[in-house]
Formats: sequence, C-alpha cells, structure tokens
Amino acid sequence: MNAALSVRDLTLTIGGASVVDGIGFDVGPGEVMALVGESGCGKSLTALAAMRLLPRAVTRARGVVELAGSDLYARPEREVRRLRGRKISMIFQEPLAALDPLASVGAQVAEATGLRGGAARQAVLAMLEEVGISDPTRRIAQYPFELSGGMAQRVMIATALVSRPDVLIADEPTTALDVTIQAQILDLLRRLAAGRGTAILLITHDMGVVADIADRVGVMYAGRIAETGRTEQVFARPRHPYTALLLAALPRLTDTPKSDLAVIAGQVPLPNHFPPGCRFADRCKLASDRCRAEQPPLRDMGEGQLAACWHAEQVG
Amino acid sequence: MSALVVSELVVHFPGRHGPPVRAVDGVSLAVAPGETLGLVGESGCGKSTLSRAVVGLQAPTRGSVVVAGVEIAGANRRTLRAARAQMQMVFQDSATSLDPRMTVGEAIGEPLLVRRLAQGAALRERVAALLAEVGLRPEHASRYPHQFSGGQRQRIVIARALALRPALLVCDEPVSALDVSVRAQILNLLVALQRSHGMANLFVSHDLAVVRHVCDRVAVMYLGRLVELAPRDALYAAPRHPYTRALLLAVPEPDPAVQRAKPHVPLVGEIPSPARPPPGCRFHTRCPMAQAVCRVEEPVWRPVGDSMVACHFAEAV
Repeated sequence: MNAALSVRDLTLTIGGASVVDGIGFDVGPGEVMALVGESGCGKSLTALAAMRLLPRAVTRARGVVELAGSDLYARPEREVRRLRGRKISMIFQEPLAALDPLASVGAQVAEATGLRGGAARQAVLAMLEEVGISDPTRRIAQYPFELSGGMAQRVMIATALVSRPDVLIADEPTTALDVTIQAQILDLLRRLAAGRGTAILLITHDMGVVADIADRVGVMYAGRIAETGRTEQVFARPRHPYTALLLAALPRLTDTPKSDLAVIAGQVPLPNHFPPGCRFADRCKLASDRCRAEQPPLRDMGEGQLAACWHAEQVG
Repeated sequence: MSALVVSELVVHFPGRHGPPVRAVDGVSLAVAPGETLGLVGESGCGKSTLSRAVVGLQAPTRGSVVVAGVEIAGANRRTLRAARAQMQMVFQDSATSLDPRMTVGEAIGEPLLVRRLAQGAALRERVAALLAEVGLRPEHASRYPHQFSGGQRQRIVIARALALRPALLVCDEPVSALDVSVRAQILNLLVALQRSHGMANLFVSHDLAVVRHVCDRVAVMYLGRLVELAPRDALYAAPRHPYTRALLLAVPEPDPAVQRAKPHVPLVGEIPSPARPPPGCRFHTRCPMAQAVCRVEEPVWRPVGDSMVACHFAEAV
C-alpha cells in the first residue's frame, strides 16, 4: 500500500531543545491514524509540520514529510500553498476561530473549490449536503456567528474537503463540542474516510475518540512515539508502561465508583531537561539503569505493534 | 438535614432582542452531607448557572436555595457573607481562580484571616495542614500560583475551599482542563477528602464517566430543566429518559471492542435556544421516541423505579 501521508524521522526544535524527536508514521488512503498524548507531547506540532505550517520559533532539524511519495519540504513555498486544500487539508478545534467571520458559509466553501459561478455553487451545495447540513440552500447565505459549534465544524470540514484532498489533518476536531454533537462529527469523519478514501491524521487527547474511529494509533510522550500499532491491539495489550498507565488512569463507565484511579507519579520533563535515556524513566516503575542511560528504540512486538521500551515484555 | 435544598429554582436572563433566556427553569434537588450529586448536561443546559445560583453568585429570578439551613435566594449581603463559610466553589480554570500576586499561603489562609478564625503561627499551622491534606508541602506556601502546574493549582484551590470546613462544596467542571494523568490524581483527592470531611458535593460536569466515578446520585439537565435524577447505578444501568440514554450512548468509551459494538444512533439536530424552548417536552425535537403528546403536553416529574424522571414514555426507554 502506498501511504497518502508519510512522516519520517521528524525532529523539531525550539531554541535547541527537541520538542519532537524522530517521529515517523504512515497514513494510508481511507485510514484513520490517531496521534494521542497529553498537553505538550508534540502532537499538534507534528500536525503543523505535516502541513508545513510550523510557527517561526520552531525549526525542522531533521525529517521528511511525503505526500503520495513526494517530499513536501523539497518544494518551493508557492507550490506547497497550492497543495494545501487540494492535496492536504486541516481542521482545528475551534471552527469559529478558523472561519472568516465576514464571509458567508457559501463564500467560505466556494473559495476552497477554486471554481466560480454555477459550478462553484453546485460543488458547495453538494459538499454541504455530504457533511450533513440540512437545507444547504438556506445555510450558504448564513455567516459564522449564526452557526452553532457543531454546524461550524461541519462547515469547516466541508471547506477542507471540497477540493477532495487525499489527506485530512484533524487537530482535536471534537474537543470543543458537546458529546452528542461529537458523536455526529466522529460518524461523519469515519464515513468520509471510508467513502472518499481520505487519509485522516487525527490529533487528540481523548482515548475514547481514538477507540471510536482510529484504525491505528501512535501514543506520544515528551516528543516521541512511545508506542504504536492497531488500535484494538494497543488498547487490549499496551506494551509501553505509559500507555498502560494512561488507560488505567481513565474513569470508565465500567470501573468501580470511588475506587482509586491509577496515577502517574511526577511530571512530564520539560524539553530543555529531557533525560538522555527514556524520557518516561523518571515516572516509570519498571525503569532500570539502562532506561536512564540509553534511549529505547521502537521495537516490533508482533503484528505491527511497536513499543519504545526496554522492558516491553514485562508490561501488562 | 440536607446540606443543600434547591426548590423550584428559576434563573432567567433578559433577552437582548426577544424573550428572556430561561437558563434555569424550575429545578428542585437536594444534597445530603457526605453525598456527591452529579449534575450533567450539554452546553447551555443551565448547569453552570444553577451552580452559581447555589453559591449566591447569581441571584435567582424565583425559587429557593437553602444551604445548611440558611436561605440564600434573596438574602442580604450580611446573610450571604455568613453563609459563604458554609459553601465554597471550585471552578474549571485554576489559573484565573487564584490571585497571581498572592502567595499560595496567603490565598489559602485568607478566608481564615478575614473571618478572624486564625492568625500568626496558628494560621501558618492551619495552612500547612491544608496543604498536606491536598498533597502539597508546607514550603509551597511561600510560592506564587504561576510556579505550579495546572493540577497543583487545582489542589491549591481545593485547599482554600476547604479552609472554612464548608458544609457544601460546589465543583464546576473541576477536572475538565486537566490532562488524563493529572485528572486521576484530582479525582482521587476529591473522593478521599469527602470521606474525611463529610461535606456535601454538587459536582457539575459534562463528562459522564467522571461523574459516574465520583457521584452517588446523578441529575441530568436539558434546556433549564431536570429530565432525570437517580441513584448512580440505576441511572447508568437503566436510564429512564431518552436523553440520558442518548448521552450515555454518545460517550466514546476508551475500549475499541466495547465502543465499536455499541449501537451508533447519534441524536439528530442541535439543542434549541433556551430563549425559545419547544412546547410540550423540551426534548421532543431531538427525541427518537417522541409522539404527538410530547409536542403539546409537558411531562410531569414522577418516580419510575428508583428514578425521578420527566418523560411520558419512561417505562419504554
């Protein structure tokens, strides 16, 4: 299978400190790949790097981002700008901040088509219908302030997908939404990935969202991928102590009420204080001298599940 | 005696170009000492307005709020000030809950100082004891809020809320801004503190898994009204209101096997405006079970099994 989006050895630095360190993954057509992790783990910067939209303060020290086999960073900026929207698109947590408040719904989506007149209108109406907006002929005349959060997110998804990009990057697309609206948007993303063959890179902090729609998952910790694999496998048998603890720390609809949830002692180290070995070692019960001295590589634990832990065999 | 009794509470806000926003529209509930009542619902359902009215931060339009035997609704400043010792609130955002120019020790000690309950060495001792209770160290008292992480700041806010040994703690989304690993620590702390202090807790949250973990009973709110109030296990095992059931099904569970086997029947449509709630049952515009009667007749609040519920067809849910 040819990957629609391929990230290799991506390393990003801020003022010399590596905030993303050697990240790599592929997303195939029609596949949903999730990057999950807590604040500051580097998941959103990885998403921005995949769009080649890194903030000025962030330097790409190493690494390759390939869209259908072609290196995004080897092209002139002018060309990359044309690819955005056509080949790769992005949606964000706050749709109302991402939409132009002075443009009608119809104008926002039409601008992304690159078409004019009747052809643009036809494309816009069809796209709004596809993202589940009822009565699209009325909606195209509305402005963002007239939309609810869920409706605005649908409009942003329509804008992102109207030119049929191969890759959609969704950064916390349902975090600002209520749970019943979140369920609608997740169903929509799942349907679009399957129906259009869009490759989706999903950035989230929510293990429930991952369990719902991701085919594969990469668990990030302090700028590195701690573990990656098929979603069912990683959840059923985590092989990195961090993944196992994260899953045990979650209140669930099936746990014993008021029982103690698992806690992860200590705090995430800051980028300028990353230890030389495993970045999770200070908080890990399995940590040995080797963990503190030597950075564990991602190792194959079978069936495509990879874990960056010297003691992966003992986890679980 | 209940620590909190809310009766027929109504909070309306004047509308700018039309009818008033009926944020809370006739809610009654009670919380006993040592009990945690969860209040859940989606944005705009009125849960935050209700919690603000309970601690006297929002004047109700009608109805009654009694905290530890004292009527808060319509109370004068003096009564309210005295009553505030009995009710404390913890908000979602710990950063804006603390004065950046006050040390942590000053912040935690302030309620004791202004009420002349402790000063000098006795105050420092009380502050140290409160810090220890929430898992911080005595030397943290001399530091400033910005020197702490979000989770630690929420511990500080909780220590300050406990300083006067209130009868009622109101927590509005206390862990929603926290990462998973920190959230677990704060939830464990809240459960442990309630065991040791025995205060009543009104726990407002949109997160049904969190609510199930910490609450004894749960109230579900929709468009300013309670639709269901039930003991935790009854509510989660056998929801009696179609909205409760839809909410529970919409929670994505962190287990792919369970999550993918669930029926995927997302609620259609959006929450109507609280300025123009639908006639009859307010949920009928989104309810998969709605019949003709639901569009015209408001369901009465009635017991079904262990639950209180407002639905014409509760027995069929």
